[in-house]
Amino acid sequence: MKYLGVDIGSSASKAVIVDNEGVVVARWLKHTGVGVATDVIETVLAETGTEASEIACTVATGYGRKLVPGADEEIAELSCHAKGARALVPKTRTIIDIGGQDAKAISLDGYGRIQSFAMNDKCAAGTGRFLEVMAHVLGVGTDALPDLAAASGTDIRISNTCTVFAESEVISQLAGGGSKADIAKGIHASVAERIAGLAKRVDIVPVVCMTGGSANNSALAACIGKELGAEIVVPEWPQMAGALGAALYARAIL
Amino acid sequence: MTDTVQQEAKRLAQLLIDVAADPKAALRAHLAGGRKVVGCFPVLTPDEVVHAAGMVPFGLWGGRKNAVESTKYLQAFCCSVMKANVENGMTGVYDGLTAVITTAYCDTLKCIEEVWKVAVPALPSIPFVCPQNRKDPAALDFLESAFARLAEALGAFGGRPVTEEALEKSIAVFGAYRAEARRFSLAAAQHPWTIPAAARHGVLKAAYFMRKEDYTEILAALNDALGQIPDEREGKTGVVLTGLMAEPNAFLELLPDYGFYVAADDLVHESLQFRADVPGPEAGGSAARRLAMRFVGVDGCSLLYDDEKRRGKRLIELCEAHGARAVIACMMKFCDPEEFDFPLYSKELAAAGIPLLPVEVEQNMAGAEGLRTRVQTFSEMLRFG
Amino acid sequence: MEQETSKQMLDRLLAAHYSEAEAAKREGKLVAWATSISPQELLETMGITTVYPENHAAAIGARKNAEGFLARSEANGYSVDICSYARVNLGYMELLSSPAGNIPLPDLIFCCSNICNTVIKWYENIAKELGVPMILFDMPFNHTYEVEEGSVRYMKAQILSAIRRLEEITGARFDEDRFREVMRVSTETARWWKQASLVAAAKPSPMNGFELFNYMAAIVCMRGKADGTEIFRRWAAELEEKKARGAGPWKDAEEKYRILWDGIACWPYLSDTYKVLKKYGINMVTSTYPDSWTILYEAGDLDGMARAYSSNYVNRNLDFGVNNIAGLVETFSLDGVIFHSNRSCKFMDFRQLETARQVEARTGVPTVLFDGDQTDPRAFSLAQYETRIQTLAETMAARKGVGA
Repeated sequence: MKYLGVDIGSSASKAVIVDNEGVVVARWLKHTGVGVATDVIETVLAETGTEASEIACTVATGYGRKLVPGADEEIAELSCHAKGARALVPKTRTIIDIGGQDAKAISLDGYGRIQSFAMNDKCAAGTGRFLEVMAHVLGVGTDALPDLAAASGTDIRISNTCTVFAESEVISQLAGGGSKADIAKGIHASVAERIAGLAKRVDIVPVVCMTGGSANNSALAACIGKELGAEIVVPEWPQMAGALGAALYARAIL
Repeated sequence: MTDTVQQEAKRLAQLLIDVAADPKAALRAHLAGGRKVVGCFPVLTPDEVVHAAGMVPFGLWGGRKNAVESTKYLQAFCCSVMKANVENGMTGVYDGLTAVITTAYCDTLKCIEEVWKVAVPALPSIPFVCPQNRKDPAALDFLESAFARLAEALGAFGGRPVTEEALEKSIAVFGAYRAEARRFSLAAAQHPWTIPAAARHGVLKAAYFMRKEDYTEILAALNDALGQIPDEREGKTGVVLTGLMAEPNAFLELLPDYGFYVAADDLVHESLQFRADVPGPEAGGSAARRLAMRFVGVDGCSLLYDDEKRRGKRLIELCEAHGARAVIACMMKFCDPEEFDFPLYSKELAAAGIPLLPVEVEQNMAGAEGLRTRVQTFSEMLRFG
Repeated sequence: MEQETSKQMLDRLLAAHYSEAEAAKREGKLVAWATSISPQELLETMGITTVYPENHAAAIGARKNAEGFLARSEANGYSVDICSYARVNLGYMELLSSPAGNIPLPDLIFCCSNICNTVIKWYENIAKELGVPMILFDMPFNHTYEVEEGSVRYMKAQILSAIRRLEEITGARFDEDRFREVMRVSTETARWWKQASLVAAAKPSPMNGFELFNYMAAIVCMRGKADGTEIFRRWAAELEEKKARGAGPWKDAEEKYRILWDGIACWPYLSDTYKVLKKYGINMVTSTYPDSWTILYEAGDLDGMARAYSSNYVNRNLDFGVNNIAGLVETFSLDGVIFHSNRSCKFMDFRQLETARQVEARTGVPTVLFDGDQTDPRAFSLAQYETRIQTLAETMAARKGVGA
């Protein structure tokens, strides 16, 4: 039999199917988040060439986990990220997950059980949204930020954490002739500082693993590592960690 | 048999929950009954004095109002409770009150009295300042003179003179209320099915808006009914709630979804109000003196100076005494005193191996869905852990 | 040999203040942490070495070093919404090293709530974390215009209890004669502090008001010491001399507008905020905040002392706040008022909007409010500040009928 995990995030939907041994047999990703169609399970099955009868159990997770009809159970994304990260990087003790709307830090014990967790509150500082807004001010796409930052010699510090204030700070830096590359580097440093602040509220024990789409932003991962004074391990397919955890829970539940 | 008793318990609880849900209706009923009503600001006011003056003390703990008019006086980073109080005052929600008693337990509250005088001129305010250095004997004298000033001010608004006899009677009325409230807190904890978290909150909240005599009568009947219902805790997880107050309701409504019930609370808005009694005549001194002793005796509250910081110890004791597995801290956004206490008790709870979930709340938040992930993760952490 | 200037004396004595505290700690002497406007007379009388964390936090902020300390306390669970002096100090308590100078850990906490209730929470935590005794002076908020007698009795009783506790803690006797002398010196220092600040009433002001922020360290740390008196006596004389010459605040610019600054400085942006003002010819000639240390009473008069400490402007009602600023508008011939809506200080903030309205109505001078913070660099936007100041300058110009 096979087990399906579906992770409906705020800006993307992910699915992972594992077999009886917990080995990943299919991955699926769509750049639509909570707005994804209610027949998401059917879509995943069709697009991964899986028969419905092959799936023994389905677990939904993520921001839109309640919007998945047909799921056998829904489990919060932090639990799933924890399980997924442990599967990808077995010695993980600390997880940092930067999503579109929120950022999370999770501390695990030696058995992979959640000991404590912290999430940012309403404020957008330190989330994917912050990066998006700042990229917009710089006139580039969010994807282009890391490369831009890589071209920088020194970062221009962005001291404000309030998104509105930071936006005006970036604008005045640009108006004052600051280079986009240096500002981009400063923006990464600013997000990293916020994330580190959040992460320090839980115990930071190596291995520190970063999950979520933003983990693919190498500049950001490096900045966070520097702030925390710890090496950040980014697994392959970091944005799939939640869906993988969900699939593994589906397998464990049954 | 149990079914009928349970229905009766639910009916009685609902009577109180309905009052809590519509304080305005309670106010109208008082006014229709020819009673004078006095608004009482957080966190503790000498309600016995108001009662002894023949008036009804009426709790003013914010509400779901968004700040519109009050932005003329208060910046965005003022706590939602005080923004709502000023907003309510300015928009006529409190019309009908004879006066309001403001307090000075935190920096925000001190300012609110000053703002009130200008923002809500039609509703006279009487400032009540509780001393912070409460263990100094001089605090008792200070409180006594504060009560006397309050009684005098109430007199100017048509209150009866507060005689020793009247104050003794009022102390007895409040003593009965506090005893039943404590009994309810224990009974509700054993019956999370009949009295889930939000219902528990509603029942306790109604005390702010009713004549204590009426409230105590219903609550006692409810307690008797609950006493006949078998324990309903099986398979559920007890938590202790701490913080200023557990609102909005939407947050409390999440708790049963994940098997949580309130085993006990350490909320300023709830158990702090009935935790400590006015000592009896054996303590010596006049009624006012003994009323002052109650203010001096309350400990472990973020808004009252406590050089021993007993809060963490209290929380651990509450968990042990009531079989709670964890603590949920309802962090009222922009409540400095609560924010200062958090790091210390969080460390003490960690050392005691008691899991703690902080959730940031504001009274006027659109809903609590944003908190669902936290509560769910916390439940999974306890379940899978 | 030439006499030291007040500034040289200030720098020397401040350096000594910090190094002597460290030396005292090394020698096993008792060190107290006190709030900035507390009855230090008691500590001075007992000869207890005293440092002032608010002052230290401000110095850390001004050196642009606050962030590491803020990060530390935030990691420990302190909310970014609470006072940044507290967050800096609670971080410092663990890190114990700062380029702005160091203060030794306390053996005693000395806390007075006339400046806010926040200090009660802040020091309560430190007392618990470090296991040291805390002496609290609770100064009830004055909702009446004057301090009520009931409050005076309560505060006086606390001063007497504090004396007994200090005797218990130190095992030494409290010397009443010395106390009287320290009371005299403290009032004398406060008088000279006030005297110096009043010289700025001259037009042009010989003082650039941001100097008040610099000298504030001395009025906080040395009010009960003869050296403290001397600093301000000299400073007043220097200012009088400048005034007699008709000298203004700056060598390279003219004082066009005179304003009051309400609230604490933005320490991390001290020079930025100053430069923007200067650019528009705006001199801050006075501020509500420094007057907090004008604590005057008769030596030996405990009632007077209690009343004076309770009379700090933030601890008094709205009417007083408005009268105070309106009076300063007159005394200092002000053209405008700047309100610092300081994220750290809810106590000062939540009366500002109404105070500003009433001051405008009463005096006719324009006011402006900007968002900032005393030590958290993340809560201030230079762009917003400059826009607000420019608007104020334009309004003041229009009122004066110049530049329009």
